[in-house]
Amino acid sequence: MSIDIEVKNLKKTYPGRVPTHALKGVTFDIKEGEFVAIMGKSGSGKSTLLHQLGLLDTPTEGALLINDIEVSKLKDHEKTLFRLQRLGYVFQEYALILELTAVENVLLPAFALNGSQRSYKERAIEMLDKVGLKERADHRPCELSGGEQQRVAIARALINNPKILFADEPMANLDTSSSKQILELFQKLNKELGQTIVMVTHEPDDQKYVDRVIWIKDGLIEKRSAS
Amino acid sequence: MTIGKICMIKDLKLALFLGYKSIINGHKSTIALMIFILSLAFVNLVFVASILNGITTTINKQIINNSVAHIVIDPQEEPTRNKYIVHTKELRQQIESLPGVVATVAHYKMVATLTYDKNKDGEFKYGTWEIIGVDPEKEPLVTGISNHIIAGRYLEGRGSGDIILGSDIAGDYGAMEEFRSLGGVKVGEKVKLNFGNGTARKYTVQGISKVRFALIDNIAYITAKEAKTILQIPDDRASQILVKIDKTGNEDWYIEKIKEMAPNLKVRKWTEYTSVAGDLTKSFDLISAIISLIGLSVAAVTIFILIYVNAINKRRQIGILKAIGIKENTIIISYILQALFYAIFGIILGLIIIFYFVEPYFINHPLSFPVGDITLTIKGFQVLQGVFGLLLAAFIAGLIPAWRAAKENILKAIWGA
Repeated sequence: MSIDIEVKNLKKTYPGRVPTHALKGVTFDIKEGEFVAIMGKSGSGKSTLLHQLGLLDTPTEGALLINDIEVSKLKDHEKTLFRLQRLGYVFQEYALILELTAVENVLLPAFALNGSQRSYKERAIEMLDKVGLKERADHRPCELSGGEQQRVAIARALINNPKILFADEPMANLDTSSSKQILELFQKLNKELGQTIVMVTHEPDDQKYVDRVIWIKDGLIEKRSAS
Repeated sequence: MTIGKICMIKDLKLALFLGYKSIINGHKSTIALMIFILSLAFVNLVFVASILNGITTTINKQIINNSVAHIVIDPQEEPTRNKYIVHTKELRQQIESLPGVVATVAHYKMVATLTYDKNKDGEFKYGTWEIIGVDPEKEPLVTGISNHIIAGRYLEGRGSGDIILGSDIAGDYGAMEEFRSLGGVKVGEKVKLNFGNGTARKYTVQGISKVRFALIDNIAYITAKEAKTILQIPDDRASQILVKIDKTGNEDWYIEKIKEMAPNLKVRKWTEYTSVAGDLTKSFDLISAIISLIGLSVAAVTIFILIYVNAINKRRQIGILKAIGIKENTIIISYILQALFYAIFGIILGLIIIFYFVEPYFINHPLSFPVGDITLTIKGFQVLQGVFGLLLAAFIAGLIPAWRAAKENILKAIWGA
């Protein structure tokens, strides 16, 4: 199994009167097709780590390789294209575009990548079908429940066939039933499609769905544990 | 097609899609308000310029139609100053043979003190005014005083005892300086004129003329024949020759030709002769430019605030778009397109307001000015100036806030940190 993500001594310091060292040098690999959870207490640096991996932020030091490309050295516009082509990202909150319907939200990254919405509408509906929301395709976010919105966000993250799917506490605002549905969906995507998934969670019960947990404490990897 | 062009088209299509959805699914009342505000900004730009144009157009029309026509020929000034133009018949024939010349007339200019005893009690009102001797038959071909007789009739034939008084001389016709008038001379009454050369004669007022332009309403007219007897000049002399041509704007060509015919005479365009026209036009053009600039700035700031508030409200959504891989430029273009959409519909609404409401209103209810009735004179290039000005303002006002919002750090934009 090849390595999808290679993290070498990654550090992130937020400047200020008293600089905050959110990541103090983390090193780990994530293999292709793995479903990994990043866990730790609040403020441990797990979301900061995911932001670096998802190219939403720039590390202060260290190297980050995704599919053997040193992405930490890419320019902003190159990162944007990289995110569009190879990464999918699911946010903690339901990060949908409010003026667009569910299907339009899903096809947006495909439209951005290929320049056509019509030819990707069918695929967007197919993705919504995969997350069980085909019937809600023409509904706008305000007409969907929290769990449904999060599933639309997952469909959107998957439309460009990303190599890696990142999820930042995707169940944080959901009830138990919706959370279970999302985790089962991730598990299905991982098992059936071999999708690499990196998910930040603080819920110990979520361990049972993932292949491996990376524990973070005070900006450092605490231990490695297979669930 | 190059890869760059393909990417540009892709970005533009997506920007159009995002902009379109934002407008279609945005708050309808907000969109309507934005369009209405921009339409008012556009109306303001065109309206002020058109009113000022209306004033200058009216003044120009008054001067051309009722005062000096297009070209004014005065007697020789250099090397010696002559009082009269000689061989006028020959010269006028030559000028009238030029293509496009409608007609020429000779004027005989004098100054006289007019005296009027309103109550026939020996208490006179008097004042000094310009008197022009005109040929009653030819004059209507060049100036329009005969069409502006508000009481009595115009001069007829070669009558020697008749006079037409400008309404500001006669009085009681709403002059700006009524106190300087003769206090209400009626048609059929007699006024006494004491000319500068010592001649004194009585005339019967045959009519009162009023063109509503103070410069012209302060002139009295007698027949050319009568004027020549006062000035004691032979038939082929005149104080001034006026030339009317068929197309305003072509004066320079005729002036050149006339100068070739009579090199010693002073030949001027109507704008040079009456400096008031040129000065007013220049002043109003400057005022119009300043007001347009202010209007455009106000419009730009309005659009800027509206788009800025919109962009700030959508800061999180802009962050999300960037996070999922939408290019900054696409986001910026989508906001510019939205701003242009508001501007285009604002302009369309503005044009409807101007051409279907404001202009017809002023045609039916012209503004009464001391230079005449003023309606809007809408010039095509000023409308285009307003259109492009507002579009440019919308472009800049859309670009800056969208650029600022799109350049923001993704995480800050999403979480508002």
